[in-house]
Amino acid sequence: MSASEAGGGVVVSRTSKPTREKASTAAASSIPSEDAVKKISDGGAAVQTKPTKRKMTAKMGFITLFPILILTLAWIAGFCSRLFAVVRFEAIIHEFDPWFNYRATHYMVKNGFYNFLNWFDERAWFPLGRIVGGTVYPGLMVTSGAIHYFLSLLNIPVHIRDVCVFLAPIFSGLTAIATFLLTKELWSTGAGLFAACFIAIVPGYISRSVAGSYDNEGIAIFALIFVYYLWVKSVNTGSVYWGALTALAYFYMVSAWGGYVFIINLIPLHVFALILMGRFSSRIYVAYSTFYILGTLLSMQIPFVGFQPIRTSEHMAAAGVFALLNALAFLKYLQRFKKQINLWLLAGGAAAAVFAAVVGLTVTGHIAPWSGRFYSLWDTGYAKIHIPIIASVSEHQPTTWTSYFFDLHILVCLFPVGAYYCVKKINDVRVFIVLYAATASYFSGVMIRLMLTLTPVVCILAGIALSELMETYLTGLDGSTLHKKEEKSSEEVVVKKTKESKDKNKPMFDEAVSPGAKKPSGAAAQLEDLDPTGIGISIRNIVVGVACILLVLFAVHCTWVTSNAYSSPSIVLATYGHDGSRNILDDFREAYYWLWQNTDEKATVMSWWDYGYQIAGMGNRTTIVDNNTWNNSHIALVGKAMSSNESAAIKIMRDLDVDYVLVIFGGIIGYSGDDINKFLWMVRIAEGEHPKDIREADYFSPDGHFRVDSGGSKVLMNCLMYKLSYYRFGEIQLGNRQPFGYDRARGVEIGFKDIKLEHMEEAFTSEHWLVRIYKVKKPKNHAKVTKKQSKIKRVISQKTSRKQEGVLRKPVQI
Amino acid sequence: MDTSTWRRTDVRLACVFLLSYLAAGFFLQVEGVASLAERITKLTELSNQRSIIKLNNERYRELVKAAPRNYSIILMLTALNPNRGCQVCQAAHEEYQVVADSWRITGGNDKVFFTMVDYDEGHDVFNSLKANTAPVFMHIPPAGKPKDADTLNIQAVGYEAEVIAKWVQERTGNMIRVVRKPNYGGVIAFSLLMVLVAGFLYLRRNSLEFLYNRNVYAWILVAVILFMTSGQMWNHIRGPPFMQRNPQSKQWMYIHGSSQGQYVAETYIVMSLNLAVAIGFILLNEAAKSTTEAHKGRNKVMAIAGIALVAIFFSALKSIFRAKYQGYPYSFLFK
Repeated sequence: MSASEAGGGVVVSRTSKPTREKASTAAASSIPSEDAVKKISDGGAAVQTKPTKRKMTAKMGFITLFPILILTLAWIAGFCSRLFAVVRFEAIIHEFDPWFNYRATHYMVKNGFYNFLNWFDERAWFPLGRIVGGTVYPGLMVTSGAIHYFLSLLNIPVHIRDVCVFLAPIFSGLTAIATFLLTKELWSTGAGLFAACFIAIVPGYISRSVAGSYDNEGIAIFALIFVYYLWVKSVNTGSVYWGALTALAYFYMVSAWGGYVFIINLIPLHVFALILMGRFSSRIYVAYSTFYILGTLLSMQIPFVGFQPIRTSEHMAAAGVFALLNALAFLKYLQRFKKQINLWLLAGGAAAAVFAAVVGLTVTGHIAPWSGRFYSLWDTGYAKIHIPIIASVSEHQPTTWTSYFFDLHILVCLFPVGAYYCVKKINDVRVFIVLYAATASYFSGVMIRLMLTLTPVVCILAGIALSELMETYLTGLDGSTLHKKEEKSSEEVVVKKTKESKDKNKPMFDEAVSPGAKKPSGAAAQLEDLDPTGIGISIRNIVVGVACILLVLFAVHCTWVTSNAYSSPSIVLATYGHDGSRNILDDFREAYYWLWQNTDEKATVMSWWDYGYQIAGMGNRTTIVDNNTWNNSHIALVGKAMSSNESAAIKIMRDLDVDYVLVIFGGIIGYSGDDINKFLWMVRIAEGEHPKDIREADYFSPDGHFRVDSGGSKVLMNCLMYKLSYYRFGEIQLGNRQPFGYDRARGVEIGFKDIKLEHMEEAFTSEHWLVRIYKVKKPKNHAKVTKKQSKIKRVISQKTSRKQEGVLRKPVQI
Repeated sequence: MDTSTWRRTDVRLACVFLLSYLAAGFFLQVEGVASLAERITKLTELSNQRSIIKLNNERYRELVKAAPRNYSIILMLTALNPNRGCQVCQAAHEEYQVVADSWRITGGNDKVFFTMVDYDEGHDVFNSLKANTAPVFMHIPPAGKPKDADTLNIQAVGYEAEVIAKWVQERTGNMIRVVRKPNYGGVIAFSLLMVLVAGFLYLRRNSLEFLYNRNVYAWILVAVILFMTSGQMWNHIRGPPFMQRNPQSKQWMYIHGSSQGQYVAETYIVMSLNLAVAIGFILLNEAAKSTTEAHKGRNKVMAIAGIALVAIFFSALKSIFRAKYQGYPYSFLFK
């Protein structure tokens, strides 16, 4: 072995000679930047982890420069590909939840952080209100608020909205760097660079981080990967320093996203697996103890989290592993004095005791059992039966294989390859990535939304797989071939050198001992023979070529998906004509602007919960329910009002003090996401709370279909939602060949055209009828008198005129 | 069209019921058949024996048709005889059994009784109710004739226990909390497996080296990942058909036409395509591992096979995706 290494050394010096000569010419120009590069690399970015004793040569500078260059390019590419929506439309906040985040950020910037924490929002969930400070993850608002603050300190006037719009694309670059660091810690620099480039443009992550998608996930994925990097680092080093940094990053993650539960379960699982594999060591003990204690204390500082880390089942795995780890460490300590302790038996006993304690505390009610949202991940049928409001959200559906391919493309196939190699060459930290891969792929299968947590691990493992491939097929040849290849794709080769110089364990240049090297090296025609593996240069070329084509296909696919699927702001719609001309439908903002300008400032608007945040954010009016679906019965009340007939609905609306009702109607432009298509969920949620009044079966036609044409059920035709959606729609003929009242979204002629409203009146309908607003009439000043009541009885007074004078019984008080 | 036929059957049903009422009245007077209290005792007794009371023609007349009643009868018309070939009936019967058991377990009263008539034992019942399909769930109210809503619309809502329970609650006002027997099958299978594994480990206790075989774990992990990324979880939750026959051309369709759905067969195809590409990549890597003279030829073959697997099967995957996803423009090697 030693001989071969020595031989390898000789060959390396020989082979790399031309490179050095070549590089030294370039070095002259790059010398001034070298210091800067080194500073960056030392300052925490850890591009160079091991301090080498060798002189800083020009090659070393090259080696450090390339990762930085590639990461910068990845950042820029990732940022740019997230700007489709901004370029096509404008810098605008997208969708639903981002509108609340924006509103909260705006409030915080205006009123300060402490007022934000104490903010009671009386504009939402009327008449209940919402304690925003205690029911929100403030990390997002604080991050963009801090950026805004620093920019204003530097006298750069930027509106907070622009900070919010561009926050997620900027953080995607940080995610790429964090992914690079994590992969480098797990495998190699080359794999890290691949992974960073993948995550920069992969649609699975872009879907939640395009410009304008101002949501928690945008910064949380960065935090997630960064926590994992620091965790892996602290397991590798076993130092309190890295453990404490992990806890700090975890604090940021907890403040940013509810998905932190994934971390606080995955890291204990990692530790537990290491214990089971007999890989317990003091490094793990130090790392986990530091992380758990500090992390738990820090996470409890977030008001929304509060005492959950010690009171709920979601966090008990972490506490249990902490107890177990300490028990094990104690037993190990005892073993020093008394050798014949049966460690496994006692440790098993400790584990059983911890488990029994957790179960006991749960039964006695000291620990809350799993919440429904969490539980529905395990029992996949649970949500559909018990929590319709969760099941109704489209991102909580399971994932088809097309979604995987759509979001990950070639990475779907590379993902298992990387996992395979991680298991084959397992070590302490690779156990972690293996567990991450297995759990995340399960969760992403159950819920399409959790594709987001799967994407980083897919990128990491695909990066590992691809760098293995490139390593094998771009190097391992004779020096001359290597040189030839270097011109083609210098990046990978340089990366290779970094690795080779650092990683002595891996025999990179096996061919030093191979018979191929001993052969008399002839002309270039004999290059095939020089290949020690016998694969030959032409096949190597084909393999590298095909891999490059696949990567190009991947990049093209990512851009296409981003452009076509993930860059719609969904509050501004665009249609394209036959000649490619674009027609923008700005109905939502038109309607919200109308609300803002034309209604009383205290007016209350009732709509389905999807539009609550937008009404509050853009229309600045009080809403009954919104996207923070914390109160099911309140939502069910709105659902009941929408699905009852007008006279029953008006009672609910009077009770809730509703002034306006807003419905979304897509029948004219064929917009399928409108309220009629969501209507069955309103009925189901209402039925859950009011089974006596609302029955889902009533809304189906006799043959069991939900239809709005003349075959539909009478109950449906008379419910408020139907009336408000189709009011006066029967007077409209859209095309010459189509009948009056033809609904384009459902493709049918509506069944009930002559709709009369008794208690409401149409207040506003947007240009394409997408948003319709109705005013609830105030109660009449005097009650309507029926004929029977109107008979006036004349009673002739018995009193004589003298008696009519009357006497005051009490003296009048003045 | 639809509604008019419904009404006609309705009228017929009403006539039948009127006649049967009259007939029942005669029986009561002539034979002096069981009074209300007696009938309730009998029903209670029967339902204590079996939570679903099996009825034949005589019992049906005696217990269901007899008036006056103060109890509701839930009646299931079915054909359980295997010769009848009604598979739905069997499944529906199991769900119905769950509801009836739940009713008994959760302290049912004597206001609702669950009954069942099999076609082979009660032709007359089927005839008198004008039922020519099975299974049918009917509610027979204490007084008055059954309405449209007293027949559960199986086509629209299905026959799951929860649905039946909800329907019974709607019709009778008696709340039934569906209690399913925990599925011990899974637990037993799992513990059996565990015992087997433990026994296996015990027998092989002298050579536990295989536990450290990384190949096994690596392939297990690859299997888990492929299982999930090919959408098996979606299959588990949504339960799509294995494949379907095209109604027009009568050809089997393996691949669902839209990107919103998938067939089971399709996911298996995708899984094997993914696996083929992954194996291709692994072959490519393994090809360059060995540098001995003897393996040179083998290495070359492995490399060629690997790159061929990757290129061909990935192209196949891409073209399947292209067929499913409307407007997707890219493909590789073949369309």
